[in-house]
Amino acid sequence: MRKPWQPQQPRNWWLRNPAYRRYMLREATALPLLLYTLLLLAGIVQFSRGEAAFATWLSWLQTPAGLLLQGIALAAALLHAVTWVALVPKILVIDSDRLRIDPRHVLRAHQLGALAGNLGLIVATLWLLWPTGGA
Amino acid sequence: MSDTIELAVTRYRPEQDTQPWEQRYTVPCSDDMSVLDALNYIKDALDPSLSHRWSCRMAICGSCGVMVNGEPKLSCKTFLRDYREAGVLEVRALDNLPVERDLVADISGVVEHIEAVKPWLIRHSEPPVDTAHSQTPAQMARYHAFSQCINCALCYAACPQFGRNPAFLGPAALTLAQRYNLDSRDEGSSERMPWLNAEEGVWSCTFVGYCSEVCPKDVDPASAINRGKVASDINYGVNLFRLLRGKGDA
Amino acid sequence: MRRSHEPISWSLFGAGGMLLAFIGPGLIVSTLLLAWLVQDPQALYATLHSGLQHPLVRLATLAVIALPLYHTAHRLYHGLHDLHITGPTWLLGGVFYGGATALSALCAFWLFTL
Repeated sequence: MRKPWQPQQPRNWWLRNPAYRRYMLREATALPLLLYTLLLLAGIVQFSRGEAAFATWLSWLQTPAGLLLQGIALAAALLHAVTWVALVPKILVIDSDRLRIDPRHVLRAHQLGALAGNLGLIVATLWLLWPTGGA
Repeated sequence: MSDTIELAVTRYRPEQDTQPWEQRYTVPCSDDMSVLDALNYIKDALDPSLSHRWSCRMAICGSCGVMVNGEPKLSCKTFLRDYREAGVLEVRALDNLPVERDLVADISGVVEHIEAVKPWLIRHSEPPVDTAHSQTPAQMARYHAFSQCINCALCYAACPQFGRNPAFLGPAALTLAQRYNLDSRDEGSSERMPWLNAEEGVWSCTFVGYCSEVCPKDVDPASAINRGKVASDINYGVNLFRLLRGKGDA
Repeated sequence: MRRSHEPISWSLFGAGGMLLAFIGPGLIVSTLLLAWLVQDPQALYATLHSGLQHPLVRLATLAVIALPLYHTAHRLYHGLHDLHITGPTWLLGGVFYGGATALSALCAFWLFTL
Protein backbone atom coordinates (compact mmCIF):
# COMPACT_ATOMS: atom_id res chain seq x y z
CA MET A 1 0.00 0.00 0.00
CA ARG A 2 1.37 3.38 -0.99
CA LYS A 3 1.12 6.31 1.37
CA PRO A 4 3.57 8.90 0.13
CA TRP A 5 4.41 11.87 2.35
CA GLN A 6 3.31 15.04 0.55
CA PRO A 7 5.65 17.91 1.39
CA GLN A 8 4.24 21.43 1.56
CA GLN A 9 6.42 24.39 0.70
CA PRO A 10 6.81 26.40 3.91
CA ARG A 11 6.01 30.10 3.67
CA ASN A 12 9.57 30.92 4.73
CA TRP A 13 11.18 28.65 2.11
CA TRP A 14 13.37 31.48 0.84
CA LEU A 15 15.14 31.88 4.19
CA ARG A 16 16.41 28.30 4.13
CA ASN A 17 19.05 28.48 1.45
CA PRO A 18 21.62 31.17 0.60
CA ALA A 19 20.77 30.86 -3.11
CA TYR A 20 17.11 31.62 -2.33
CA ARG A 21 18.08 34.54 -0.10
CA ARG A 22 20.18 36.00 -2.90
CA TYR A 23 17.25 35.56 -5.29
CA MET A 24 14.82 37.29 -2.93
CA LEU A 25 17.27 40.14 -2.38
CA ARG A 26 17.51 40.55 -6.18
CA GLU A 27 13.73 40.60 -6.48
CA ALA A 28 13.44 42.97 -3.52
CA THR A 29 15.42 45.62 -5.41
CA ALA A 30 12.09 46.33 -7.14
CA LEU A 31 10.60 47.94 -4.02
CA PRO A 32 13.06 50.85 -3.57
CA LEU A 33 13.27 51.22 -7.35
CA LEU A 34 9.48 51.57 -7.51
CA LEU A 35 9.51 54.19 -4.75
CA TYR A 36 12.31 56.03 -6.52
CA THR A 37 10.37 55.96 -9.81
CA LEU A 38 7.39 57.44 -7.97
CA LEU A 39 9.72 60.17 -6.67
CA LEU A 40 10.73 60.92 -10.26
CA LEU A 41 7.09 60.88 -11.31
CA ALA A 42 6.37 63.38 -8.54
CA GLY A 43 9.16 65.49 -10.06
CA ILE A 44 7.35 65.48 -13.40
CA VAL A 45 4.05 66.46 -11.75
CA GLN A 46 5.76 69.28 -9.92
CA PHE A 47 7.58 70.33 -13.08
CA SER A 48 4.28 70.52 -14.97
CA ARG A 49 2.90 72.79 -12.22
CA GLY A 50 5.60 75.37 -12.76
CA GLU A 51 8.88 76.73 -11.52
CA ALA A 52 8.01 77.14 -7.84
CA ALA A 53 6.57 73.64 -7.56
CA PHE A 54 9.67 72.22 -9.24
CA ALA A 55 11.88 74.03 -6.72
CA THR A 56 9.81 72.42 -3.97
CA TRP A 57 10.49 69.00 -5.50
CA LEU A 58 14.22 69.78 -5.58
CA SER A 59 14.02 70.54 -1.87
CA TRP A 60 12.27 67.18 -1.31
CA LEU A 61 15.34 65.51 -2.76
CA GLN A 62 17.43 67.04 -0.01
CA THR A 63 15.24 66.05 2.94
CA PRO A 64 16.55 63.16 5.09
CA ALA A 65 13.74 60.94 3.80
CA GLY A 66 14.56 61.86 0.20
CA LEU A 67 18.26 61.21 0.68
CA LEU A 68 17.56 57.89 2.46
CA LEU A 69 15.27 56.77 -0.36
CA GLN A 70 17.85 57.71 -2.99
CA GLY A 71 20.62 56.00 -1.02
CA ILE A 72 18.70 52.72 -0.72
CA ALA A 73 17.54 52.99 -4.33
CA LEU A 74 21.15 53.50 -5.45
CA ALA A 75 22.25 50.34 -3.66
CA ALA A 76 19.27 48.49 -5.15
CA ALA A 77 19.98 49.83 -8.64
CA LEU A 78 23.62 48.74 -8.44
CA LEU A 79 22.63 45.23 -7.29
CA HIS A 80 20.00 45.14 -10.01
CA ALA A 81 22.45 46.25 -12.69
CA VAL A 82 25.11 43.70 -11.69
CA THR A 83 22.69 40.75 -11.42
CA TRP A 84 20.77 41.76 -14.56
CA VAL A 85 23.79 42.12 -16.82
CA ALA A 86 25.23 38.82 -15.52
CA LEU A 87 22.08 36.97 -16.66
CA VAL A 88 21.84 38.56 -20.10
CA PRO A 89 24.12 36.07 -21.90
CA LYS A 90 21.99 33.21 -20.56
CA ILE A 91 18.85 34.66 -22.16
CA LEU A 92 20.08 36.55 -25.19
CA VAL A 93 21.82 33.83 -27.18
CA ILE A 94 22.67 34.71 -30.76
CA ASP A 95 23.56 31.44 -32.41
CA SER A 96 22.17 30.69 -35.85
CA ASP A 97 23.62 29.45 -39.11
CA ARG A 98 23.93 33.04 -40.33
CA LEU A 99 25.14 34.75 -37.19
CA ARG A 100 26.88 33.56 -34.06
CA ILE A 101 28.11 35.82 -31.27
CA ASP A 102 30.23 34.44 -28.45
CA PRO A 103 28.26 34.71 -25.16
CA ARG A 104 31.35 36.29 -23.58
CA HIS A 105 31.12 39.12 -26.10
CA VAL A 106 27.41 39.55 -25.37
CA LEU A 107 28.27 39.85 -21.67
CA ARG A 108 31.15 42.25 -22.30
CA ALA A 109 29.03 44.44 -24.59
CA HIS A 110 26.31 44.77 -21.95
CA GLN A 111 28.87 45.45 -19.19
CA LEU A 112 30.45 48.21 -21.26
CA GLY A 113 27.03 49.53 -22.28
CA ALA A 114 25.85 49.73 -18.67
CA LEU A 115 29.10 51.41 -17.63
CA ALA A 116 28.90 53.90 -20.50
CA GLY A 117 25.18 54.59 -19.93
CA ASN A 118 25.48 55.22 -16.21
CA LEU A 119 28.73 57.20 -16.29
CA GLY A 120 27.53 59.11 -19.36
CA LEU A 121 24.37 60.15 -17.55
CA ILE A 122 26.35 61.34 -14.53
CA VAL A 123 28.74 63.32 -16.73
CA ALA A 124 25.78 64.81 -18.62
CA THR A 125 24.17 65.87 -15.34
CA LEU A 126 27.38 67.49 -14.13
CA TRP A 127 27.69 69.28 -17.46
CA LEU A 128 24.06 70.46 -17.18
CA LEU A 129 24.60 71.74 -13.64
CA TRP A 130 27.88 73.52 -14.28
CA PRO A 131 26.60 76.79 -15.83
CA THR A 132 23.50 76.90 -13.63
CA GLY A 133 24.90 75.71 -10.32
CA GLY A 134 28.32 77.27 -10.42
CA ALA A 135 29.50 74.48 -8.15
CA MET B 1 42.37 8.48 8.42
CA SER B 2 39.77 6.12 9.88
CA ASP B 3 37.62 8.64 11.73
CA THR B 4 33.81 8.73 11.84
CA ILE B 5 31.07 11.14 10.83
CA GLU B 6 27.45 11.41 11.88
CA LEU B 7 24.55 11.18 9.44
CA ALA B 8 21.16 12.58 10.42
CA VAL B 9 18.84 10.76 8.06
CA THR B 10 15.20 11.77 7.63
CA ARG B 11 13.20 8.54 7.79
CA TYR B 12 9.66 7.94 6.64
CA ARG B 13 8.09 4.51 6.80
CA PRO B 14 4.56 4.71 5.37
CA GLU B 15 3.35 1.68 7.39
CA GLN B 16 4.23 3.13 10.81
CA ASP B 17 4.87 6.85 10.42
CA THR B 18 2.47 9.74 10.03
CA GLN B 19 5.31 12.15 9.28
CA PRO B 20 9.07 12.07 8.64
CA TRP B 21 11.46 11.89 11.58
CA GLU B 22 15.21 11.98 12.06
CA GLN B 23 17.48 9.04 12.84
CA ARG B 24 21.20 9.44 13.52
CA TYR B 25 23.87 6.99 12.43
CA THR B 26 27.62 7.06 12.99
CA VAL B 27 29.55 5.84 9.98
CA PRO B 28 33.25 5.54 9.14
CA CYS B 29 34.63 8.49 7.23
CA SER B 30 37.52 8.35 4.82
CA ASP B 31 38.65 10.58 1.97
CA ASP B 32 37.30 8.27 -0.71
CA MET B 33 33.86 7.67 0.80
CA SER B 34 30.82 9.19 -0.89
CA VAL B 35 27.51 9.88 0.80
CA LEU B 36 26.18 6.90 -1.17
CA ASP B 37 28.92 4.72 0.35
CA ALA B 38 27.82 5.93 3.78
CA LEU B 39 24.16 5.12 3.03
CA ASN B 40 25.15 1.68 1.75
CA TYR B 41 27.21 1.17 4.93
CA ILE B 42 24.17 2.01 7.04
CA LYS B 43 21.99 -0.36 4.99
CA ASP B 44 24.55 -3.22 5.11
CA ALA B 45 26.01 -2.88 8.63
CA LEU B 46 23.69 -0.80 10.81
CA ASP B 47 20.07 -0.74 9.71
CA PRO B 48 18.72 -2.85 6.84
CA SER B 49 15.36 -1.08 7.09
CA LEU B 50 16.74 2.11 5.49
CA SER B 51 15.55 2.65 1.92
CA HIS B 52 17.47 4.64 -0.64
CA ARG B 53 17.77 4.52 -4.40
CA TRP B 54 20.98 4.02 -6.33
CA SER B 55 22.46 2.19 -9.28
CA CYS B 56 25.54 3.26 -11.22
CA ARG B 57 27.74 4.94 -8.54
CA MET B 58 29.19 7.18 -11.26
CA ALA B 59 26.79 10.09 -11.78
CA ILE B 60 25.12 8.90 -14.95
CA CYS B 61 22.02 6.92 -13.88
CA GLY B 62 20.53 9.84 -11.98
CA SER B 63 18.81 7.74 -9.32
CA CYS B 64 20.68 8.58 -6.10
CA GLY B 65 19.63 12.21 -5.66
CA VAL B 66 19.06 13.34 -2.05
CA MET B 67 19.22 16.55 -0.06
CA VAL B 68 22.59 16.82 1.74
CA ASN B 69 22.64 19.63 4.31
CA GLY B 70 19.78 21.26 2.46
CA GLU B 71 21.30 21.07 -1.02
CA PRO B 72 20.16 18.72 -3.79
CA LYS B 73 23.05 16.36 -4.54
CA LEU B 74 23.81 13.07 -6.25
CA SER B 75 24.92 11.05 -3.23
CA CYS B 76 27.46 9.15 -5.38
CA LYS B 77 29.13 12.41 -6.43
CA THR B 78 29.16 13.97 -2.95
CA PHE B 79 31.99 13.09 -0.59
CA LEU B 80 32.05 12.81 3.21
CA ARG B 81 35.44 14.54 3.28
CA ASP B 82 33.78 17.82 2.26
CA TYR B 83 31.56 17.70 5.37
CA ARG B 84 34.21 16.91 8.02
CA GLU B 85 34.09 20.52 9.20
CA ALA B 86 30.29 20.49 9.52
CA GLY B 87 30.47 17.31 11.63
CA VAL B 88 26.92 16.19 10.83
CA LEU B 89 25.39 15.45 7.46
CA GLU B 90 21.66 15.93 7.22
CA VAL B 91 20.35 13.63 4.52
CA ARG B 92 16.74 13.63 3.39
CA ALA B 93 14.72 12.81 0.30
CA LEU B 94 14.66 15.36 -2.52
CA ASP B 95 12.60 18.45 -1.72
CA ASN B 96 9.38 19.34 -3.52
CA LEU B 97 8.54 15.71 -4.38
CA PRO B 98 6.30 13.16 -2.62
CA VAL B 99 8.35 10.87 -0.37
CA GLU B 100 7.62 7.22 -1.03
CA ARG B 101 9.79 5.93 1.82
CA ASP B 102 12.87 7.24 3.68
CA LEU B 103 15.15 8.73 1.01
CA VAL B 104 13.10 7.59 -1.97
CA ALA B 105 11.33 10.49 -3.68
CA ASP B 106 8.57 9.80 -6.19
CA ILE B 107 9.68 11.37 -9.49
CA SER B 108 6.79 10.02 -11.58
CA GLY B 109 5.27 13.52 -11.78
CA VAL B 110 8.56 14.80 -13.17
CA VAL B 111 8.67 11.99 -15.71
CA GLU B 112 5.13 12.88 -16.85
CA HIS B 113 6.19 16.51 -17.33
CA ILE B 114 9.19 15.37 -19.36
CA GLU B 115 7.03 13.12 -21.57
CA ALA B 116 4.56 15.95 -22.14
CA VAL B 117 7.02 18.07 -24.14
CA LYS B 118 7.74 15.22 -26.62
CA PRO B 119 11.49 14.95 -26.01
CA TRP B 120 12.35 13.07 -29.18
CA LEU B 121 13.11 13.96 -32.79
CA ILE B 122 9.89 14.76 -34.62
CA ARG B 123 10.08 14.53 -38.43
CA HIS B 124 7.34 15.08 -40.97
CA SER B 125 9.14 12.86 -43.45
CA GLU B 126 11.64 10.09 -42.92
CA PRO B 127 14.78 10.10 -45.05
CA PRO B 128 15.69 6.93 -47.02
CA VAL B 129 17.06 4.21 -44.75
CA ASP B 130 20.55 4.33 -46.27
CA THR B 131 21.07 7.99 -45.29
CA ALA B 132 21.30 9.75 -41.95
CA HIS B 133 20.11 13.17 -40.78
CA SER B 134 23.29 15.11 -41.29
CA GLN B 135 24.33 17.72 -38.79
CA THR B 136 27.38 19.95 -38.56
CA PRO B 137 29.42 20.18 -35.33
CA ALA B 138 28.24 23.80 -34.96
CA GLN B 139 24.61 22.69 -35.22
CA MET B 140 25.20 20.00 -32.61
CA ALA B 141 26.95 22.41 -30.26
CA ARG B 142 23.74 24.46 -30.19
CA TYR B 143 21.85 21.90 -28.08
CA HIS B 144 24.61 19.61 -26.83
CA ALA B 145 24.81 20.91 -23.24
CA PHE B 146 21.02 20.59 -22.89
CA SER B 147 21.17 16.95 -24.01
CA GLN B 148 23.37 15.96 -21.04
CA CYS B 149 20.38 15.72 -18.67
CA ILE B 150 20.18 12.44 -16.72
CA ASN B 151 16.67 13.04 -15.28
CA CYS B 152 17.95 12.99 -11.69
CA ALA B 153 15.38 15.66 -10.68
CA LEU B 154 17.87 17.63 -8.57
CA CYS B 155 16.68 20.73 -10.45
CA TYR B 156 13.09 20.04 -9.35
CA ALA B 157 14.25 19.80 -5.73
CA ALA B 158 16.05 23.12 -6.28
CA CYS B 159 13.11 24.91 -7.90
CA PRO B 160 10.88 26.90 -5.50
CA GLN B 161 8.36 27.54 -8.29
CA PHE B 162 7.90 23.78 -8.76
CA GLY B 163 7.63 23.48 -4.97
CA ARG B 164 4.95 26.16 -5.02
CA ASN B 165 3.06 24.70 -7.98
CA PRO B 166 3.75 21.06 -9.00
CA ALA B 167 1.86 21.67 -12.28
CA PHE B 168 4.84 23.76 -13.45
CA LEU B 169 6.58 21.66 -16.10
CA GLY B 170 9.86 22.48 -14.42
CA PRO B 171 13.54 22.72 -15.35
CA ALA B 172 14.33 19.33 -16.92
CA ALA B 173 11.16 19.12 -19.05
CA LEU B 174 11.49 22.65 -20.39
CA THR B 175 15.21 22.13 -21.02
CA LEU B 176 14.48 19.01 -23.06
CA ALA B 177 11.84 20.90 -25.03
CA GLN B 178 14.46 23.52 -25.81
CA ARG B 179 17.03 20.83 -26.58
CA TYR B 180 14.86 19.36 -29.35
CA ASN B 181 13.63 22.74 -30.58
CA LEU B 182 17.28 23.72 -31.09
CA ASP B 183 18.15 20.50 -32.92
CA SER B 184 18.56 21.14 -36.66
CA ARG B 185 17.14 17.67 -37.43
CA ASP B 186 13.91 18.29 -35.53
CA GLU B 187 10.68 19.60 -37.08
CA GLY B 188 8.44 19.38 -34.03
CA SER B 189 8.77 22.74 -32.32
CA SER B 190 5.19 23.70 -33.25
CA GLU B 191 4.01 20.71 -31.19
CA ARG B 192 6.12 21.76 -28.19
CA MET B 193 5.44 25.50 -28.22
CA PRO B 194 1.92 25.21 -26.69
CA TRP B 195 3.56 23.63 -23.62
CA LEU B 196 6.21 26.35 -23.42
CA ASN B 197 3.63 29.11 -24.00
CA ALA B 198 1.43 28.02 -21.11
CA GLU B 199 1.43 29.47 -17.62
CA GLU B 200 2.70 26.06 -16.43
CA GLY B 201 5.41 26.23 -19.12
CA VAL B 202 8.25 28.73 -19.21
CA TRP B 203 6.10 31.46 -17.66
CA SER B 204 6.10 29.98 -14.16
CA CYS B 205 9.89 30.43 -14.02
CA THR B 206 11.24 33.52 -12.27
CA PHE B 207 14.92 32.80 -12.96
CA VAL B 208 15.88 31.84 -9.44
CA GLY B 209 18.79 30.09 -11.14
CA TYR B 210 19.39 27.52 -8.39
CA CYS B 211 18.51 24.65 -10.78
CA SER B 212 21.63 25.46 -12.80
CA GLU B 213 23.77 25.67 -9.66
CA VAL B 214 22.81 22.18 -8.49
CA CYS B 215 22.80 20.40 -11.86
CA PRO B 216 25.45 17.64 -11.64
CA LYS B 217 25.87 17.60 -15.45
CA ASP B 218 26.21 21.39 -16.00
CA VAL B 219 23.10 21.45 -18.18
CA ASP B 220 22.10 25.03 -17.18
CA PRO B 221 18.32 24.58 -17.23
CA ALA B 222 17.76 28.20 -16.12
CA SER B 223 19.33 29.38 -19.36
CA ALA B 224 17.31 26.88 -21.43
CA ILE B 225 14.02 27.99 -19.84
CA ASN B 226 14.75 31.67 -20.24
CA ARG B 227 15.75 31.20 -23.86
CA GLY B 228 12.42 29.38 -24.08
CA LYS B 229 10.79 32.59 -22.80
CA VAL B 230 12.35 34.50 -25.69
CA ALA B 231 11.04 31.84 -28.10
CA SER B 232 7.59 31.98 -26.48
CA ASP B 233 7.65 35.79 -26.61
CA ILE B 234 8.34 35.71 -30.37
CA ASN B 235 5.69 33.00 -30.80
CA TYR B 236 3.20 35.24 -28.96
CA GLY B 237 3.99 38.16 -31.25
CA VAL B 238 3.70 36.06 -34.40
CA ASN B 239 0.38 34.65 -33.20
CA LEU B 240 -0.91 38.14 -32.40
CA PHE B 241 -0.01 39.19 -35.94
CA ARG B 242 -1.87 36.15 -37.30
CA LEU B 243 -4.95 37.00 -35.25
CA LEU B 244 -4.85 40.62 -36.40
CA ARG B 245 -4.81 39.42 -39.99
CA GLY B 246 -7.95 37.41 -39.29
CA LYS B 247 -6.31 34.00 -39.21
CA GLY B 248 -6.92 31.38 -36.54
CA ASP B 249 -5.16 31.01 -33.21
CA ALA B 250 -2.02 28.91 -33.65
CA MET C 1 -2.61 24.08 -22.67
CA ARG C 2 -3.85 27.64 -22.52
CA ARG C 3 -1.56 30.33 -23.87
CA SER C 4 -0.27 32.66 -21.17
CA HIS C 5 -0.35 36.41 -21.73
CA GLU C 6 2.80 36.75 -19.67
CA PRO C 7 4.86 37.67 -22.81
CA ILE C 8 3.37 41.19 -22.64
CA SER C 9 4.34 41.82 -19.02
CA TRP C 10 7.64 39.97 -19.44
CA SER C 11 8.64 42.12 -22.42
CA LEU C 12 7.87 45.31 -20.48
CA PHE C 13 9.68 43.86 -17.44
CA GLY C 14 12.69 43.06 -19.61
CA ALA C 15 12.76 46.47 -21.25
CA GLY C 16 12.49 48.15 -17.85
CA GLY C 17 15.17 45.92 -16.36
CA MET C 18 17.55 46.65 -19.20
CA LEU C 19 16.87 50.38 -18.92
CA LEU C 20 17.45 50.32 -15.15
CA ALA C 21 20.70 48.39 -15.59
CA PHE C 22 21.95 50.83 -18.19
CA ILE C 23 20.94 54.12 -16.55
CA GLY C 24 19.39 53.32 -13.12
CA PRO C 25 22.41 53.91 -10.88
CA GLY C 26 23.50 56.90 -12.99
CA LEU C 27 20.01 58.39 -12.74
CA ILE C 28 19.97 58.12 -8.95
CA VAL C 29 23.45 59.61 -8.65
CA SER C 30 22.19 62.39 -10.93
CA THR C 31 19.24 63.29 -8.70
CA LEU C 32 21.56 63.14 -5.70
CA LEU C 33 23.83 65.58 -7.55
CA LEU C 34 20.78 67.78 -8.21
CA ALA C 35 20.07 67.73 -4.50
CA TRP C 36 23.64 68.75 -3.65
CA LEU C 37 24.71 70.99 -6.51
CA VAL C 38 21.74 73.00 -7.74
CA GLN C 39 22.21 76.63 -6.83
CA ASP C 40 19.74 78.17 -9.25
CA PRO C 41 16.52 76.09 -9.61
CA GLN C 42 15.02 78.67 -11.99
CA ALA C 43 17.82 78.29 -14.52
CA LEU C 44 17.60 74.50 -14.23
CA TYR C 45 13.84 74.67 -14.78
CA ALA C 46 14.39 76.79 -17.88
CA THR C 47 17.04 74.40 -19.25
CA LEU C 48 14.84 71.34 -18.66
CA HIS C 49 11.81 73.14 -20.03
CA SER C 50 13.55 73.95 -23.31
CA GLY C 51 14.91 70.41 -23.51
CA LEU C 52 11.44 68.94 -23.00
CA GLN C 53 10.09 70.87 -25.97
CA HIS C 54 11.43 68.16 -28.22
CA PRO C 55 8.92 65.28 -28.52
CA LEU C 56 11.70 62.67 -28.49
CA VAL C 57 12.94 63.97 -25.14
CA ARG C 58 9.39 63.71 -23.81
CA LEU C 59 9.12 60.18 -25.15
CA ALA C 60 12.45 59.21 -23.58
CA THR C 61 11.35 60.73 -20.26
CA LEU C 62 8.11 58.75 -20.44
CA ALA C 63 10.14 55.57 -21.05
CA VAL C 64 12.32 56.30 -18.01
CA ILE C 65 9.18 56.42 -15.85
CA ALA C 66 6.89 53.86 -17.49
CA LEU C 67 9.34 50.99 -18.10
CA PRO C 68 10.70 50.92 -14.50
CA LEU C 69 7.07 51.05 -13.29
CA TYR C 70 6.27 47.91 -15.28
CA HIS C 71 9.58 46.29 -14.31
CA THR C 72 9.05 46.79 -10.59
CA ALA C 73 5.33 45.95 -10.75
CA HIS C 74 6.18 42.64 -12.44
CA ARG C 75 8.81 41.70 -9.85
CA LEU C 76 6.61 42.66 -6.91
CA TYR C 77 3.61 40.81 -8.39
CA HIS C 78 5.67 37.61 -8.66
CA GLY C 79 7.30 38.35 -5.29
CA LEU C 80 3.90 38.22 -3.60
CA HIS C 81 3.34 34.79 -5.17
CA ASP C 82 6.75 33.70 -3.82
CA LEU C 83 5.81 34.95 -0.34
CA HIS C 84 2.55 32.92 -0.48
CA ILE C 85 0.51 36.11 -0.42
CA THR C 86 -2.38 35.18 -2.64
CA GLY C 87 -5.48 36.92 -3.92
CA PRO C 88 -7.71 36.96 -6.97
CA THR C 89 -5.59 37.30 -10.13
CA TRP C 90 -7.76 40.12 -11.46
CA LEU C 91 -7.25 42.09 -8.24
CA LEU C 92 -3.48 41.62 -7.89
CA GLY C 93 -2.93 42.01 -11.64
CA GLY C 94 -5.14 45.09 -11.60
CA VAL C 95 -3.24 46.68 -8.71
CA PHE C 96 0.26 46.01 -10.09
CA TYR C 97 -0.01 46.06 -13.90
CA GLY C 98 -3.11 48.29 -13.87
CA GLY C 99 -1.35 50.64 -11.48
CA ALA C 100 1.74 50.79 -13.66
CA THR C 101 -0.43 51.45 -16.73
CA ALA C 102 -2.47 54.17 -15.00
CA LEU C 103 0.63 55.95 -13.69
CA SER C 104 2.30 55.69 -17.11
CA ALA C 105 -0.79 57.21 -18.73
CA LEU C 106 -0.82 60.03 -16.18
CA CYS C 107 2.89 60.60 -16.76
CA ALA C 108 2.28 60.80 -20.52
CA PHE C 109 -0.54 63.29 -19.88
CA TRP C 110 1.64 65.51 -17.69
CA LEU C 111 4.56 65.34 -20.10
CA PHE C 112 2.63 66.06 -23.27
CA THR C 113 0.55 68.90 -21.82
CA LEU C 114 3.60 70.81 -20.59
